[in-house]
Amino acid sequence: MAGLVLGGASAWAALTLGVTSFSAHYGDWSLNRAAGSTAAGPYTRAIIARYGLLALSSREALYFNLDRDEHGQPLSESCIYDLTGHAIATRWWSVTLYANDSYLARNDDHAASVDATRISAGDDATWRARVSSVQGDSVNWLSSRNARRGFSLTLRVYNPERDFAPSAESLPKLTTVSCASPS
Amino acid sequence: MSGWGKYIAVALLIAVATHIVAIFSVPNVLMNVALQRLGGGHYNAWRLGDRVTQASRTIVRPAPDFAYSACPYDLGNGPVRIHVTPWSDYWSLSLYANNSDNFYVLDDREAHDGADVLVIRAGSPPPDHETATIVQSPSQRGIALIRRLAPTPDAYAAAAQVSHTDVCAAH
Repeated sequence: MAGLVLGGASAWAALTLGVTSFSAHYGDWSLNRAAGSTAAGPYTRAIIARYGLLALSSREALYFNLDRDEHGQPLSESCIYDLTGHAIATRWWSVTLYANDSYLARNDDHAASVDATRISAGDDATWRARVSSVQGDSVNWLSSRNARRGFSLTLRVYNPERDFAPSAESLPKLTTVSCASPS
Repeated sequence: MSGWGKYIAVALLIAVATHIVAIFSVPNVLMNVALQRLGGGHYNAWRLGDRVTQASRTIVRPAPDFAYSACPYDLGNGPVRIHVTPWSDYWSLSLYANNSDNFYVLDDREAHDGADVLVIRAGSPPPDHETATIVQSPSQRGIALIRRLAPTPDAYAAAAQVSHTDVCAAH
């Protein structure tokens, strides 16, 4: 009995805590190039199946994930963040906000994602999206309402160009604007 | 070895075996759940998913910018024929084995006019005089998935219209 519990617990821990261990890191973003791959090892395959079932292989799309702010704190609905980026060398990209259950946050704001076809960029080709529970005066908005604490952002990069080289500089940057004080 | 020593050794052996079985079975278990959720127990037919919203709870991390069509396939009675109608923006056809491996992808850059694919079981002989692209599935059952980029309600409605002429059927 103890063996079953220990084995089950260690498998659960490997799938939960091992998410970042099996990934490459670019600034605060993590990427698992083995997603969907027929060459994926058993741990990667199990982790992807749990957190990104039916993901495309890296030949077609790359999935970057971000779940901490620049201070290493879990992303929280009680905070306001700015996400800024430049053009990404790819055919299409999007950033989607997921609650910590890996589904869209339970709100009807219709602001779960921003994507290359709809984002408004400034004169310097820099785009900026607000990640917050209310839209305020932001043009590009990712709603974190009801996402609570521990939500994440997924950057999808489809058909990346040959010279696409992910780096902390080339990927969007998340900055904390403010956080509400705990009441 | 003392009584306690044997107990600990056996417990560790069981723990290692349980750990390995759990890690290897997670993808298959989750794929079986997905097969049921996407097809409701039916195979070899496309099912267009509703537009992704906060209520979408079928597959983790759905992208709200895509119109998804899924076909859980079963090669138990022979090959399965797939036709994908082209779409005006990005689209792709991807095939997943029952261990979740994405063993085949085709997108509109490679198949601008749509796709005709015949899925057969790996190791089985391809039919004679077949004109469709033959793809060997490593498992008897799996999932075919079409993604059509449709970030707005209007685009989703148009993609839904196009999806009516997709085919996923026993050969």
